[in-house]
Amino acid sequence: MNGPHDMGGMHNMGSIPIEEHEPVFHSEWEAKVFAISFATFANYFPVDETRQASELMPPGQYLSSRYYERWLYALELLMTKHNLVTQAEIEDRIAQMAQTDP
Amino acid sequence: MSIEPSNECMTVAQVEVLLRDGLSCQSESDTPAKFKVSDRVRAKVMHPQTYTRLPRYARGKMGTVMRDHGVYVFPDTVGQRLDTKPQHVYSIRFAASELWGANTPTNDFLFLDLFDDHLEPI
Repeated sequence: MNGPHDMGGMHNMGSIPIEEHEPVFHSEWEAKVFAISFATFANYFPVDETRQASELMPPGQYLSSRYYERWLYALELLMTKHNLVTQAEIEDRIAQMAQTDP
Repeated sequence: MSIEPSNECMTVAQVEVLLRDGLSCQSESDTPAKFKVSDRVRAKVMHPQTYTRLPRYARGKMGTVMRDHGVYVFPDTVGQRLDTKPQHVYSIRFAASELWGANTPTNDFLFLDLFDDHLEPI
């Protein structure tokens, strides 16, 4: 698929930011996304299926998302596609957390 | 550990092995190689709507086989849960001028690991 991930040769994207003391994760949710994703690799979704899923993110959204936001997109897409959870269950949980943890 | 999308839960021991050793995509298939070192090849011109590891900027470009890495499962089909289609992977050397035009240093090269299905003979 000719998606937004295939950036070789593109111009005007800015320099690659290099952090001097880059942490493994920039916040706790990133670590959680990594852990849940890893629990599905080989178990449910081959790594390449996960990569393909993140490349399906709409191009504008893809280019303005952080690395682990793309992972989360892929995770939710595959978990709903393969009926491990439903979109409604994800949204219910988000609403629930918004109430208890404002 | 090999890639098998089984939909069965891994045991804790299996997860520990996966985290410690990583995942090998190498295949034990004896699929013959389509190309050999020093062969000139062309990356296929293709625009599949599905997953591919062949970058756009290399499509239609000519390069040289520098190394045969052996046989690996094919991500372009594994990503779609199709056949693992084991095949040879090669390090292909492309001249910068072939990819980006005349205004490039003559000694610059780009190496891409590409699969049999990404390549055609010249």
